[in-house]
Amino acid sequence: MGVLVTAAGLTKTYGDLTAVAGIDFEIREGECFGFLGPNGAGKTTTVRMIHCVSPLTSGTLTVGGLPAGIGNRALKKMTGVIPQEINLDNDLTVAENLVIFARFFDIGRREAKARIAELLRFVELEAKAKCKISELSTGMKRRLLIARALINRPRLIVADEPTTGLDPQARHLIWQRLRRLKTQGTTLVLTTQYMEEAQQLCDRLVVMHEGRILKEGAPARLVEDEIGREVVEVRTPPEDDARIVGHLAGFACAHERVGDTLYFYCRDGHGTMKKLLELDLPNTLNRPATLEDVFLKLTGRSLHE
Amino acid sequence: MSLSYRIAYVFLRNLYSYKRFVVPTFLVSLVEPLFYLVTFGIGMGAYMGAFGGRPYLHFLVPGVLATAAMMSSSFECLYGTFVKIVHEKVYESLIATPVSADEAVAGDIAWASFRGLISGGLMMAVALAMGVAPAAAWRAAVLLVFLVFVGVLFGSLAMIVTSVSPSFDFFSYYTELVITPMFFFSGVFFPLDNFPGWMKVLAEFLPLTHAVRVSRALFTGDAVPGVGWSLAGLAVLAAAAFTVSTRMMRKRLIK
Repeated sequence: MGVLVTAAGLTKTYGDLTAVAGIDFEIREGECFGFLGPNGAGKTTTVRMIHCVSPLTSGTLTVGGLPAGIGNRALKKMTGVIPQEINLDNDLTVAENLVIFARFFDIGRREAKARIAELLRFVELEAKAKCKISELSTGMKRRLLIARALINRPRLIVADEPTTGLDPQARHLIWQRLRRLKTQGTTLVLTTQYMEEAQQLCDRLVVMHEGRILKEGAPARLVEDEIGREVVEVRTPPEDDARIVGHLAGFACAHERVGDTLYFYCRDGHGTMKKLLELDLPNTLNRPATLEDVFLKLTGRSLHE
Repeated sequence: MSLSYRIAYVFLRNLYSYKRFVVPTFLVSLVEPLFYLVTFGIGMGAYMGAFGGRPYLHFLVPGVLATAAMMSSSFECLYGTFVKIVHEKVYESLIATPVSADEAVAGDIAWASFRGLISGGLMMAVALAMGVAPAAAWRAAVLLVFLVFVGVLFGSLAMIVTSVSPSFDFFSYYTELVITPMFFFSGVFFPLDNFPGWMKVLAEFLPLTHAVRVSRALFTGDAVPGVGWSLAGLAVLAAAAFTVSTRMMRKRLIK
């Protein structure tokens, strides 16, 4: 698999604020690559540089061997963008939104007509072709954004939090569509705050925080390396910590106290749990480790606003 | 500057969206000139006697034509464009495609100019129906071309205001402090001859004064002194305003 996107020392500043602080990454052709991070981590800024709507401050960024840049129409032509904010054209109907976008990409009328019919089928909006945008549900609008992003048959799709504000049904439908695109060989760049979304879609991902990349890897691998297999949660007052940690001294567990909960990250959750039960604590839980644990461990548990 | 045939795509987008508003805007564009021409032309004109040997309406119509083109194109590039940038995010989705920010701005100015042409054209139709015609038929055609140019000029000027505007309220400064004074001090309704010297000088700094002068020269066929300079000045101002507006819009759109 070749490399499609390469970033080295990629930096973006707005005045005194450093949104992206010299990051390096490679996105391979045909994979789904995720940018995970709390609000303000620099995910959106990074992908906006990838799809050429935001100029770099310094560093290098190439897409398909070409330097990314505002004026690079060739790159914009091969990229499809699913934006975070729903920016459909409300003055136009569903079909007209696609017709106009096809024009923007120099797609001829006949070709556009065929593609629009095909894309509306793909996102299950055939029946809504003549509807106004205001008549669509949020899920339908998000699906139309996907269809719009595909009008130019892109080699690279940039999806910036594509399922924000959707119910589970709508979210799963979008995941299925994105996975289908991947099987067709399209490279997918995804930003998300939803761990489940990252786990469902991403082959590889980076966790970003305050403009930097903290970790990179396949989702399952990251969980294994950072957390282990299992997590044991004990909901007790902090005064009990010393006693409980002492009791589990024989187990290779990292522990962390957050608010009202004491977390143990371990390989042998079952054994830990058994030992813990000897203390007869009122509120304990043993569960598999998830990407969310990695995320919270790396980016801290405080609020990011 | 990054301009290409893609300007036409932006114009086309506006044309698509206009389909929904075409009836109300045509009605407004028709009613407005009727108000002007009936109230000022017939009502007031009755007391005005002849202007340079012709009825007052022949003085009024070319001035009002230029004003109508100014108004339509200004408002389109103020409110219309602002909505597309801030509320509808049309620009945001546009610049992620091969269409550049400059082309988006140029497309909107072209559209504003078209709206100005419609307003001016409808006004001319009303005037013709009232028997107020230019000195020759070809003059009507040239006048319409001139209105397109007037639209580009005032659309570009308004676009500069929009590029720095934080909200709708900001536009009041421009409409109240620039557009409205031009309306009264540019010789649309009466000649500037009786103004004191300083006001005449001031009026020479208002682009509408020159637009009205050119429009009137085209309409009446009279030799108007300084009309060549007026046209040249307007051309320079239009080129400058367009360049500045695209540059400032780029600043607003590309971050």
